[in-house]
Amino acid sequence: MTTSTTVQTSANPVTGNDIILRTTGLTKYFGKLAAVKDLNIELRRGEVFGFLGPNGAGKSTTVGMILGLVTPTAGNIELFGLKLDSHRWAALRRVGAIIEEPAFYPYLSGRDNLDTLARAIGGIKYTKIDEVLERVNLLDRANDKYSHYSLGMKQRLGIASTLLRDPELIILDEPTSGLDPAGTKEVRDLIPQLAHERRAVFLCSHLLHEVELVCDRVTIIKQGIMIANAPVQELLTKGQLLQIKVEDQAQALIVLRDVSWIKSVKTENGILIVDAPQDSASRVNQTLAEHNIFASELVSRSVSLESVFLQLTGGANGD
Amino acid sequence: MIRLIGAELFKLRKRKMTWILLAVLVGIIILVNFLLLAISKVNLPTGPHGEIQNLLGLPVALPLTMSLLSSFGSVLAIILVASSMGSEYNWRTIRTAVISSESRFKLLSAKLISAAILILIGLILGLAAGFLVSIITTAIGGYKFDFSFASRTFLWNQFLQFWRTFFILIPYILLGFMFSIVGRSAMPGIAFGIGILFLESIITAFMTLAGGWIANIPDYLIAANVRAINSLAALPQGFQAGMGFGGGSAHLPNIAHATITLAVYSVIFLIIAFYLFRKRDVTG
Repeated sequence: MTTSTTVQTSANPVTGNDIILRTTGLTKYFGKLAAVKDLNIELRRGEVFGFLGPNGAGKSTTVGMILGLVTPTAGNIELFGLKLDSHRWAALRRVGAIIEEPAFYPYLSGRDNLDTLARAIGGIKYTKIDEVLERVNLLDRANDKYSHYSLGMKQRLGIASTLLRDPELIILDEPTSGLDPAGTKEVRDLIPQLAHERRAVFLCSHLLHEVELVCDRVTIIKQGIMIANAPVQELLTKGQLLQIKVEDQAQALIVLRDVSWIKSVKTENGILIVDAPQDSASRVNQTLAEHNIFASELVSRSVSLESVFLQLTGGANGD
Repeated sequence: MIRLIGAELFKLRKRKMTWILLAVLVGIIILVNFLLLAISKVNLPTGPHGEIQNLLGLPVALPLTMSLLSSFGSVLAIILVASSMGSEYNWRTIRTAVISSESRFKLLSAKLISAAILILIGLILGLAAGFLVSIITTAIGGYKFDFSFASRTFLWNQFLQFWRTFFILIPYILLGFMFSIVGRSAMPGIAFGIGILFLESIITAFMTLAGGWIANIPDYLIAANVRAINSLAALPQGFQAGMGFGGGSAHLPNIAHATITLAVYSVIFLIIAFYLFRKRDVTG
């Protein structure tokens, strides 16, 4: 099943000027293969945006295009209102990113790696290096070689490097990969904090529970095509179903199928599964009662982002 | 651009390999000088010992060192430049480097300029090492300490030869640089750079032996033109074409031809490197 839901909402009030990232008709072909097709996304200041899709869906290609690493076949990218192809540096110097996994010079220490980056970007005070290292709890290991870091420490150095230029847009691709539970929680807590500092966070993750916890809005792509774009809560609500236990199931099915505001009714293991608006439980119950059918059990079945994702992407997670 | 060069120099300065390459260069210069001293002391009835002896002593210290720098220095310079570029792919830092640079053109230029600065420093240190070792071998060999050769003309010629030596390195440096971009790794740059440096000398020798029009082909390759420029060094008779891998042809192209040919090769390698780096997507 593919559903395309485009809702322009955010947890934070925004204006037109608050749009940090906008892609219009973004398309990338590798030979004849469409990696990304006609992708339109918008990301606003203060928003944590989840970008989801199965492996090979085109997430990394999209991130690559946003960062100027991959040249789009068609379409436009605007960062902070600036067209990326004509104002590349003016736009990108305001963006911090970890792509897929943090990559640093193995022979340099954590501090020297950030120093190298600071020198290349320019305009960054040396004290900022210690500041960001402290923020990710790496200050005490700052002089150790990067090659001696654990995966979690490498990931934290990656986050430090994104903060170095005080970016207005942070792109994180699997930021908790390799972290222990405490580290994962630390990063998960850090993400909304970053967005609350009037930044926007663009988060690619396979950990849907993590996305559900931290993201305001998600876009789901499959085979390069956007199949959903909505606030997380809306997606979860849309996925909510009513679970009803009645004695005369056949009669209940006939009755409920005639109700216009009920999207679908089916039976599952002797239970009626009703796809109806979230606040309609009492109305469903009333409708059944009017036909002398009485529910012995009526519960709202909550869904996770994971199940919505699997439903939308057809459960595919590999290619 | 200046800050990108600063960042590149910082990376190269902090890299152990840079210092190892410099140590190898200085080591080769010391080793060759002491080998020449040892050979010159061997009292054999026949052989080129008299000629070898001509390579010792202060007047030839600088030309001899520059000759070594143009040959062994090429190998080390290829390794330095190909590693500087190719390792970015190997470590996957290329994406961060591109995102943190004003443009791909400036990033690549900064890489080349910073490597060129280090190579020039290496040449100066190599020259200094060669001169110091020559003083030592002169003392050990019992030769005369006579600095009368150091006239203004001599020093001017050495200054020119220094830049000629640097010029000779450029096509090989850019060859290694180009292949590290083509192959997206340090290894192709090093392998093709050094491989061509050695193979070309062998092929050139065979072509010269073949005679006819084939014998003229080396005039349009790199090695013969490098040797032509090397021949301007004030080395003793029989060593004018340098101590390197240039093959043994007696015929050398003229200097203008050599300069233009090497410049054309350099520009071609440079254009290919920049074109590919600018055009290709930077992916995982």
